[in-house]
Amino acid sequence: MKKMVTVVAAATLLGGALAGCGNSSNSGSSSEPKVGVAIYKFDDTFMTGVRNAIEDSAKGIAKVDIVDSQNSQATQNDKVDQFLTKKDKALIINPVDRTAAGVIIDKAKAKEVPVVFLNREPMPEDMKKWDKVYYVGAKAEESGTLSGQIVADYWKAHPEADKNGDGVLQYVMLKGEPGHQDAELRTTYSIQALEDAGIKVEKLAEDTAMWDRVKGQDKMAAFLGSNGDKIEAVFANNDDMALGAIEALKAAGYFKDGKYMPVVGVDATAPAVQALQDGTLLGTVLNDAKNQGKAAVTVASLLAQGKEITKDSVGFDVTDNQYIWIPYKKITKDNIDDAK
Amino acid sequence: MNTQKMRGAISQNAIYIVLVVLLIAITAYDPSFFAVSTLRDILIQSATRVIIALGVAFILITGGTDLSAGRMVGLTAVISASMLQVSDYGRRFFPDLPQLWVGIPIIIALIAGLLFGLLNGFIVSKFKVPPFIATLGTMVAIYGVNSLYFDTKPNQSQPIGGLRQDFTDIGSGSIGSGDYSIPYIVLIAIFVAFIVWVVFNKTKLGKNMYAIGGNEQAARVSGINVAKNLLWIYGIAGALYGLAGVLEAARTGGATNNYGNMYELDAIAACVVGGVSTTGGIGTVPGVVTGVLIFTVINYGLTFIGVSPYWQLIIKGLIIVAAVAFDMRKYASKK
Repeated sequence: MKKMVTVVAAATLLGGALAGCGNSSNSGSSSEPKVGVAIYKFDDTFMTGVRNAIEDSAKGIAKVDIVDSQNSQATQNDKVDQFLTKKDKALIINPVDRTAAGVIIDKAKAKEVPVVFLNREPMPEDMKKWDKVYYVGAKAEESGTLSGQIVADYWKAHPEADKNGDGVLQYVMLKGEPGHQDAELRTTYSIQALEDAGIKVEKLAEDTAMWDRVKGQDKMAAFLGSNGDKIEAVFANNDDMALGAIEALKAAGYFKDGKYMPVVGVDATAPAVQALQDGTLLGTVLNDAKNQGKAAVTVASLLAQGKEITKDSVGFDVTDNQYIWIPYKKITKDNIDDAK
Repeated sequence: MNTQKMRGAISQNAIYIVLVVLLIAITAYDPSFFAVSTLRDILIQSATRVIIALGVAFILITGGTDLSAGRMVGLTAVISASMLQVSDYGRRFFPDLPQLWVGIPIIIALIAGLLFGLLNGFIVSKFKVPPFIATLGTMVAIYGVNSLYFDTKPNQSQPIGGLRQDFTDIGSGSIGSGDYSIPYIVLIAIFVAFIVWVVFNKTKLGKNMYAIGGNEQAARVSGINVAKNLLWIYGIAGALYGLAGVLEAARTGGATNNYGNMYELDAIAACVVGGVSTTGGIGTVPGVVTGVLIFTVINYGLTFIGVSPYWQLIIKGLIIVAAVAFDMRKYASKK
């Protein structure tokens, strides 16, 4: 008997929890084409922004059904099958693994359902499989280049930034997850941008802080411990690590009494924008979630209706008939409103 | 002193020797490591980890384990941060929340930690679910709860920033200023370590904890209410994670739902290296504190001298395995 009660209680709880989880955001009239959207992982900060933008921009042009692939390519493929069975007119896929795009294209082509890939670029040979395949995203290396340019501009405008007066910029680098494409490209291209601007650079230290604010702070404290005043600039592959570094710098007496350190990040998160306002963060780079979401859903809607994809119909430049590149934006104190 | 005694002394104090050897080795490589500011950094970076590790130690000593510690740190970091943003911040978690007294959100976070700890204890003691599985379940579920909370409008999974100065001061302020100042966060950790030491050594709960871990059956037969004791032990551990989460948010000036990820493994590793037995019944507060310090010295020191992050991982792994191997030998020789 006692066991029964427990089972019933557990079942009730579970049922209640499940009922609370269901949410349907499908709306709009039946004339709008149905578009299936699979995001690689719902709890990714940036992709959450894109997801919200897709929902907002879909109003009036498409009926979107957004699902979570839970960071598993197998799950995503199942969801794609489900979309095709439900006879969706177009798909927006944010792949978990970019090399898996080929399989998804084959599935979709067999049912004549166009696909828009989002944020993670399929291999060029996969893109060539079918002309009803598009890609919407940003060029990852651009985020590195722009953050390098922010520091280059600062360095040229502020001769006092060369603290030891040797004409060489001594920097430390906080990297994201080792081997992650964004981490590697941002690291390489940010320094490349400085060199292209004619600035001599010297790396004092580089370590991974795994995109994490806490680790960024701890690593920066260690960098300051070993290099102290020799550091002239701090690069971080994302804002969370940059903000962690700023906390460590504050603890070491920076950002008051005229002691300053240029720190740059990438993402333009809300706390980073606040730090720009406070004058602690020099700059960040915005990966334009709004326009990525808007472009993806616009292209999908047009494809679903069999319409042509041109600059005029989409509102964004179309490169090589299949690519829509959404540019990154430099964000500093001067254009802070662009990131809000 | 004969070799037998010598060997005994070394084996009893092995972890302290490891710590000193590490410090000497790093200093030999780069003499500038030997500085008050370095010591200060290491203590600051150890503070929250000591608190988490002490919570985990409670549970390890009972013969259990706790995988949910890290996610609880993340949950309580987000809870406290969400209620302690400056009023003019652009993207407040609760746009209309008045300026609360700083203690209120902290207490709410501690209670959240306590409740989830009690839930762990309840599942383990009432349903007899093995602690590894019970806390594996709550680890996953707590992350879900945290992510749901973190994703509510208007925050929608943005990192929480713009924390109030009176809150961040707890994490980054200190008594005095300059290299010789004493950070509050270190004082808090020392205070917690002292209280936990008292609980371990001077209270009935502490005695029961060692008894349950040593031999649960014997403890039960000798009249100890095992279920009740376990409930409290998991609850206290949860409250400690709650405190650590609050301090982590205060120290870093922000929080996301990913805070605390994998901290439980760091804490378990630190406990094990500090001489807490994975089979229960054995463990001391100074040992745990030293275990945490060893890992912080590795983290900080190897970054300080510029060792590649990949090598840092290899060295950490070796130390964990070596410590347990050594630990096992100690018991083998006792038997």
